[in-house]
Amino acid sequence: MAQINPEEFTVTDFAVREHRSLWGDAWGRLISSNTARLGMFIVILFVFSATFSHYFWEYEPKKDLDYSLKLKAPNLIVTEEIPSIHPFGTDKLGRDIFRRVVHGGWNSLRVGIVAVGISLFFGGVIGLLTGFYETVIMTTIERIVLFGITGFLLGMLSAWISNQLIQLVVFTLLGLAAGYYKDILEGKLSRVGIFGLLGALGSAIPAFFMGASVALICGILGLLSGVLLSMALDGRFFSNVMMRIMDMILSFPGYLLAIAIVAFLGPGLGKGMIAIGVVGIPVYARLTRSAVLSVVHKEYILAAQSVGESHGRIIIRHITPNILSPIIVQTTMGLANAILSAAALGFLGLGAIPPEPEWGAMLGDSYRYLTSGAWWAVLYPGLAIMLSVLGFNLLGDGLRDALDPKLRT
Amino acid sequence: MTPLLEIKNLKTRFYTQDGVVRAVNDVSYTMDSGEILGVVGESGCGKSVHALSMMQLIPYPPGKITNGEVWLDGQDLLTLNEEEMQKVRGRDIAMIFQDPMTSLNPVFTIGFQITEALLLHNDMTKREAKDRAGELLELVGIPGAKDSLDDFPHQFSGGMRQRAMIAMGLSCEPKLLIADEPTTALDVTIQAQIIDLVKKLQEELGMAIMWITHDLGVVAELAHTINVMYAGSIIETGQIHNIYKETKHPYTIGLLGSLPRLDDAPGTELVSIPGLPPDLLALPEGCPFAARCEYRIEKCLIEKPPLVGINGKDHSVACWRWEEIAGIGSK
Repeated sequence: MAQINPEEFTVTDFAVREHRSLWGDAWGRLISSNTARLGMFIVILFVFSATFSHYFWEYEPKKDLDYSLKLKAPNLIVTEEIPSIHPFGTDKLGRDIFRRVVHGGWNSLRVGIVAVGISLFFGGVIGLLTGFYETVIMTTIERIVLFGITGFLLGMLSAWISNQLIQLVVFTLLGLAAGYYKDILEGKLSRVGIFGLLGALGSAIPAFFMGASVALICGILGLLSGVLLSMALDGRFFSNVMMRIMDMILSFPGYLLAIAIVAFLGPGLGKGMIAIGVVGIPVYARLTRSAVLSVVHKEYILAAQSVGESHGRIIIRHITPNILSPIIVQTTMGLANAILSAAALGFLGLGAIPPEPEWGAMLGDSYRYLTSGAWWAVLYPGLAIMLSVLGFNLLGDGLRDALDPKLRT
Repeated sequence: MTPLLEIKNLKTRFYTQDGVVRAVNDVSYTMDSGEILGVVGESGCGKSVHALSMMQLIPYPPGKITNGEVWLDGQDLLTLNEEEMQKVRGRDIAMIFQDPMTSLNPVFTIGFQITEALLLHNDMTKREAKDRAGELLELVGIPGAKDSLDDFPHQFSGGMRQRAMIAMGLSCEPKLLIADEPTTALDVTIQAQIIDLVKKLQEELGMAIMWITHDLGVVAELAHTINVMYAGSIIETGQIHNIYKETKHPYTIGLLGSLPRLDDAPGTELVSIPGLPPDLLALPEGCPFAARCEYRIEKCLIEKPPLVGINGKDHSVACWRWEEIAGIGSK
């Protein structure tokens, strides 16, 4: 029998384990997947080339014009006929397609980030608030803010019809009063009556100077608004209203709505970003809300409430970090979607204004020359769109698997 | 001496699609400071809901407190609005929850969560709060307390997490600590440790503790007084020896009778109370227990018995026939 020397043995203390952070774990899973690595490579290449070309490779689209080089096929060596190298060929104005594709990446990246930023910010805030206040009692201040905003929005409608700003003030004040004096006359008919009357008069009298019919419309609108404000609104009402508005936006086909918004705002890359961003808001709002609802009933939220934490703190510190993973995934996928939408708008001539290099616009400019054999003018911008979208999608898929391994099938 | 906590006619309702759930019905009792009160009853009898109602933490909608007063230290909590309640929660009343696995936020370290609770109600710097959090963890008996501050909840075992929860509850030295089935999710040896810990802490810090449980064995070890709840009402309340030795209400008798005993002969079958608790959507008019009670008379089905004092403040029971039944329970 072997002699056991106790000094040779070290006791492993299982309670003391190495720190492994959530993000470290996720990174490990992400990097171990081939498709995610490919996606990441494409995305990094895309971001890198777009940023560097923007800052270190000057390009002035307005001055780039050379009819002598019109629609030349790709060439990699200088010939007598073509004195410069054009790896992707040239387009109908003799512009180097390689250069325009690379610079177009910057515009796509900008559209992606700004549009997703808009959707994420508004959608996220709406989702967090509606999800949280659906079951949590609001404090007086929160109620006042909510009612004030409701009043303001109603007032805008009325003020728009009557072309006067007084309704805005009247309804905002009504909303603030309704929020502040929630407990007085709650649910009583007199409260409904007083608010309805105030709303009707406050809206109709100033509108009367515009004409009797305007006054009538404003009066009815004011009455309805007053009655609405007099109800003891709670978070669930707020949530319902917001989500129905989101449903309304969602019920339009995305591109159609984006085209309508661009038609309303006027063409331009910036306007296109806003349009794509607005179209994306409901997606993020619903996603965030559902994630919040799944977290808000967890016991640690109740525990946070029971030690007396304020609502803002609970939302920011306890809920947000716990719902990040689906939102990160959606954001990555959303970037691909935004790039695609921007290209679609550009193709229709609603996005970037012509000399500006933009993939969709380049396609729109050149597809007519496809029949005359100029395949390169269409192929390369198209490939750029496809690759960038593919890259973000692969990365998004990889992130989903990495951040939520339970979902993997 | 005025009691620390006085609850008067507390009523909580849940307005659901199927109708009104009458979760808490006219609960009234008092608690002195430094008292350990055990609230006992089977699942769904309103134990937790009445505690959450006190803190105004019931989900709203559908839940709503429709009536009642909760006086804590001369202040009616139910008249306070949400902002004022946020100041009371944690500072005056703290709560420990049933499942230590889910009651700590998985994305923050234990130290961060305790520090956060400390900073909310105390005027101290982050450094001081962190030191205090370390002391608290030491107080609740976590080995290597100072180093554990940087651990995440998943690195703690169930018992350690419950200790961390207790540390969080104690952080602002509340006057009343509500423990909502804190040992239900733990195994028996850890249960015993937590009970000893709470006992020790109560002696050291002197706060009142409300211990909500369905385990009569646990409260017997811990509590000074006991409230037995059934279908949202208190049906028997009193000093611990009164409840265990001079049981009056047939439900309490049934509960105690259904406990397995070490001195039972092998092969003895456990006694159970026949039937099910009443549907809180449609509570009977009379005594809620009448349908399952072997001593019921006609009066029980018509009129709900009030909680009457038998032995002054020490023992009250809500039963029409307690005097006749009394003899059986003491057997």
